[in-house]
Amino acid sequence: MIVLVCLETPSPGPASRAALRLASTLGDKAEVVVLSAGGNADSASFELARQTDTVRRIVHLQDSALSKPDFLTLGMVLAEAARHLEARVVIAGEHSDGEGQGMVPAALAHHLQAPLFARVQGAALPATENAGMQLTVRSGGRLCKVTSPLPVVLTTPPAPEIRSMPSEARQSSPAVETLSLAQLGIDASRLVPRPNLLGTLVPSPAETGQRKSFDEAARLLLRRR
Amino acid sequence: MASIVAYIELREGAITGPSLFVVAEARRIADSAGATVFALLTVGPVAQVEMDRLASEISAAGADRVLCSSADTLDGPALDVTHGGLVAQVAAHLRPLLVLFPAGGTGVGLGPPLAMRMGAAYMANASVDICEEDRSPDPASQRVLLSRWRAARNGQRKIDVSDLERPVVAGLVSGPFPPPAGEPYAEVEMVPCPDAAVPDARVIDSEVDTAADLELCRVLVCAGRPTAASAEAFRAELPEGTRLATMDDSGSPALWVAAPQDLLVLPSAQDSGLPLIACAAAITHVESVTGAGAQSPELASQAGAADTELAELAAALGRARSRGGTP
Repeated sequence: MIVLVCLETPSPGPASRAALRLASTLGDKAEVVVLSAGGNADSASFELARQTDTVRRIVHLQDSALSKPDFLTLGMVLAEAARHLEARVVIAGEHSDGEGQGMVPAALAHHLQAPLFARVQGAALPATENAGMQLTVRSGGRLCKVTSPLPVVLTTPPAPEIRSMPSEARQSSPAVETLSLAQLGIDASRLVPRPNLLGTLVPSPAETGQRKSFDEAARLLLRRR
Repeated sequence: MASIVAYIELREGAITGPSLFVVAEARRIADSAGATVFALLTVGPVAQVEMDRLASEISAAGADRVLCSSADTLDGPALDVTHGGLVAQVAAHLRPLLVLFPAGGTGVGLGPPLAMRMGAAYMANASVDICEEDRSPDPASQRVLLSRWRAARNGQRKIDVSDLERPVVAGLVSGPFPPPAGEPYAEVEMVPCPDAAVPDARVIDSEVDTAADLELCRVLVCAGRPTAASAEAFRAELPEGTRLATMDDSGSPALWVAAPQDLLVLPSAQDSGLPLIACAAAITHVESVTGAGAQSPELASQAGAADTELAELAAALGRARSRGGTP
């Protein structure tokens, strides 16, 4: 069963890494395929995929139209790629390290017409493709066991990496396969920029330098409004 | 008149604090920009008296009207497969200017798919700014901005709600749980629940999430590695809506689920591999505590440092309470 993991490029954030870790827990039935779009084919994302034992194929969507795609276009292209690769399960990070909105998986699920499950903590593949996939989802103050028919799109929140001893170097790692939009049946010339729905960017340094005394901190804790 | 929809999350039958905050924020926006606040309550089969009690509480928080949908499929956590169709149906009917979700995870699960269905902008971990100096005379209204940090924390995104010419779906960070601001008798309207889009998808079991209360807090205090007794004593001193997160070997799980308005980082946590970057976008303010009694950076990671800091903060809480709580 094809399990597609969408990794952001050029470097995968904690949520993407968590997505790859989740795919790696799915066992022998899963044929894990890593997919990325845009950026260079020698990015850190592919290095991560090569180092992950469970990854069978690495596919890179390359087209000049994907150099800076909006989330709607990217979601649509990833959905077409998921169809092309016959993926039954698509896993993505909950949000990127850039904007951090989490709209790409929603756009992907929308175009794939597959149910979207967010905040997935664990998953188990069904015995057959016609059976329901079991998921553990954090929602409503509970860890819920959910069953869903395939195909399905899952997102994983960023999570701390469990530090482990470095494993031995992988004997053979898959080469990066390149896929073009034309192979997906998408006419790149017809992709039009969508309206920017992200809002105005106001550059400002993160407010990490504010210092509070213990008394000021206590007042903050007691603040009502 | 424009409408604002505030989604209400229930946990164990009770309305969460962030849900009341979302209604209060919707009220604040509505009063500034001229809009009607609809609260959307989704429940499993419940008695009418219980529904009335919940509606009263929501109404008192500031809702003009309470939309209530009750169905077997809604008796569980708010997943897109079970609740998404209903929320989309309400949005299609009301065509709201804003749909607000409370902190606690419903925004992450329901927000992006709803934004896709509505063709709306989406903003996670947003906070509301009302520009009081920027008024338009007719009709009298003020600019409403939604702001959030980029995940890279190198700048903020701002959406002017009235300028966008599209609806906005937003998940708000957790804020101070407000005192009642409205009347406890809003108009309640029952909304039919549509059939599930994926009928075979369902919750088959659930267990308590030990991090559940952490994702609802408005201020998260991060300490290093206090002793269990010290942490327990400090937790007893914490006011409502605030939580303590301590570091453990895998990094504090709390930091990966919480969306607090403020993060207070004690010196003992600053040097302990705190994975701030992952949750940075969810935090409006990061405050580092220092002062005469704080540990020096060299001493902060040493054994006992976190205990000392928690004791000092507890003492400061005591002093603040004795002075009336707020400056």
